[in-house]
Amino acid sequence: MKRKPKLAIAGLTACSGCQLTFLNCEREIPTILDRFQVSFFPLGESSGGDDERFDAALIEGAVSTAQDLATLFALRRASRLLIAFGTCALFGGVAAMNNQLCDRAELFRSVYGREPEKDLIPPAPFTNFVAVDFSITGCPPEKTDLVALLGSLLAGTLPPTTCYPVCMECRSRENSCLLLDRDELCLGPIIQGGCNARCPATGIVCEGCRGPVSQANVAQEMELLLERGFDREDIRRRMSRFTPGWNYEQRD
Amino acid sequence: MRMSWLPQGHLEAFLNLLEPYGTVHGPTVLENGVTALAPITSPDDLELKYRHTLIPPKKYLLPFRDPILTLNDGCYRPAPPVAPNLVLFGLHRCDLQAISYLDRVFLGDDPDPNYAGRRERLTLVGLSCEPDDFCYCDPAQPAAVDLFLDQAENGFLVTPHSPRGEKIMSEGTGLFLSSDHLPSLLVPLAPPPTPQDPELRFSDNPLWEEYARICLSCGACSACCPTCYCFDVREYPSLDHGGNRLREWDNCLFKKHGEVAGGDFRRSRLDRLRYRFLHKYCGFSPLQGVTSCVGCGRCAKACPVGIDLRNVLEVTYRGAEPATTRDQATGTGEVS
Ligand code: SF4
Ligand code: SF4
Ligand code: SF4
Ligand code: SF4
Repeated sequence: MKRKPKLAIAGLTACSGCQLTFLNCEREIPTILDRFQVSFFPLGESSGGDDERFDAALIEGAVSTAQDLATLFALRRASRLLIAFGTCALFGGVAAMNNQLCDRAELFRSVYGREPEKDLIPPAPFTNFVAVDFSITGCPPEKTDLVALLGSLLAGTLPPTTCYPVCMECRSRENSCLLLDRDELCLGPIIQGGCNARCPATGIVCEGCRGPVSQANVAQEMELLLERGFDREDIRRRMSRFTPGWNYEQRD
Repeated sequence: MRMSWLPQGHLEAFLNLLEPYGTVHGPTVLENGVTALAPITSPDDLELKYRHTLIPPKKYLLPFRDPILTLNDGCYRPAPPVAPNLVLFGLHRCDLQAISYLDRVFLGDDPDPNYAGRRERLTLVGLSCEPDDFCYCDPAQPAAVDLFLDQAENGFLVTPHSPRGEKIMSEGTGLFLSSDHLPSLLVPLAPPPTPQDPELRFSDNPLWEEYARICLSCGACSACCPTCYCFDVREYPSLDHGGNRLREWDNCLFKKHGEVAGGDFRRSRLDRLRYRFLHKYCGFSPLQGVTSCVGCGRCAKACPVGIDLRNVLEVTYRGAEPATTRDQATGTGEVS
């Protein structure tokens, strides 16, 4: 019988929400465990051996400590495929939202009441440190994206990707447009779709949890929101909630 | 052509007459305020004076996400469409013309089985309309329709346009009064801004630069367009060694649309944006030279930054001053 592919599932600085997405696949978990060997999954209490090799490592979280970086390097070295799992891993996410606004050391002092460790890293995405083979976006990611990845790994490939914004699915669901019809601060036009416009479908604006879509016209979204009366700082704050690294001048 | 008069009070009976042909869907206002085609259970649900629905009737023929193949035991099998019999009541002329265009695309030399399967179960009942600020139309264009209803004050003038339409009318003889007078119906329609543009003169219009600067590439113009039919095909292997291949709406505004191994046909936003309009006004082979814009006005109305292709055409053909984009887009599907 063919060897079962070995998986590592791990987290750096994050809320564990992405790893919980895995545990939330209740219906699929028996099949997943039948097809894969989940050999390193600290959250699920399997810790693996030191010299273990993985076919794929799914890692959530931003890199913000020396320990994070060590874990990331170790899993990179031990894995054939490294998958940035979730928005923090891809863009920095919630932990990084204030990167541009305040000094890291200052923040450390006020939270922990002592001098920061020397190697404090402002929360940063994986691509700042290692090569990433595939990514699944979302805060948290969609179950379907995770299952599609695992199915594809079994077939010896990676899933197809999409690059349409949230608006595309939002319009297809015949939602009322919160930006145009209700004058709300919706980031849908510049955010990667794939969540089936979860939030606008329930009448809540898209806050951008899936990060930028590849052809985002960032400068124009900013201009449009300013024209519609929103405050520049409010817009920036909203945009950096999940992705601190926007290029606000980007048009192409 | 036989014309008959359907008094307003007979509308409910007329809808009942349609029922054997499938579930009746018509223009209605959803809870969220959006005008949409949705199931109709009584004439009260109908929004007879609607301007346009946010999403055009293509959603019934080419659903946003459509499974096309399933993979099981190493074998691909077609995923037959779930296609109940359906009556679309109250489609405006532009949407009927759009279906006629889609028919040419999908039922041509090599018919698309999913489209064909859905199309043959569709009965189309048209309804006359009043133009709004965004639409224009050319009544001479072919339209796909079984029955057409011209709205007048107290009823409708009904005209059959197909054997099925004739049959429906013959089944409801008691409902129709023969009419010797033509009630005044016709509101003047806005003429289409342009004929064909074989030399692609509008490609040089300087307005494109401005439009490319402000286009968000949100895709709303294409999602809402009754004749935008591009799709992406993707396959997802499943956990049990099978898989699903599906197609999903796609369009030239998105970067991936022009990407191929080793390159990209349409690198700039300008190229991507203009390509959509090129398709609308010039067509591709084998429909090269066929205008596919039916003038419904949805794209201009749904565009968050007010891009209106009529402006490009106006400048090219009529030498008008370029219109500036409007300050505020006016929204999506609400009935005004
Ligand atoms: S509500 Fe937001 S996501 Fe939906 S169409 Fe409007 S801008 Fe796009
Ligand atoms: S609509 Fe926006 S905020 Fe909501 S799940 Fe989708 S990407 Fe995230
Ligand atoms: S609706 Fe407007 S902004 Fe959105 S892709 Fe179309 S032209 Fe661009
Ligand atoms: S291009 Fe615009 S006006 Fe023409 S058919 Fe499409 S949505 Fe309607």
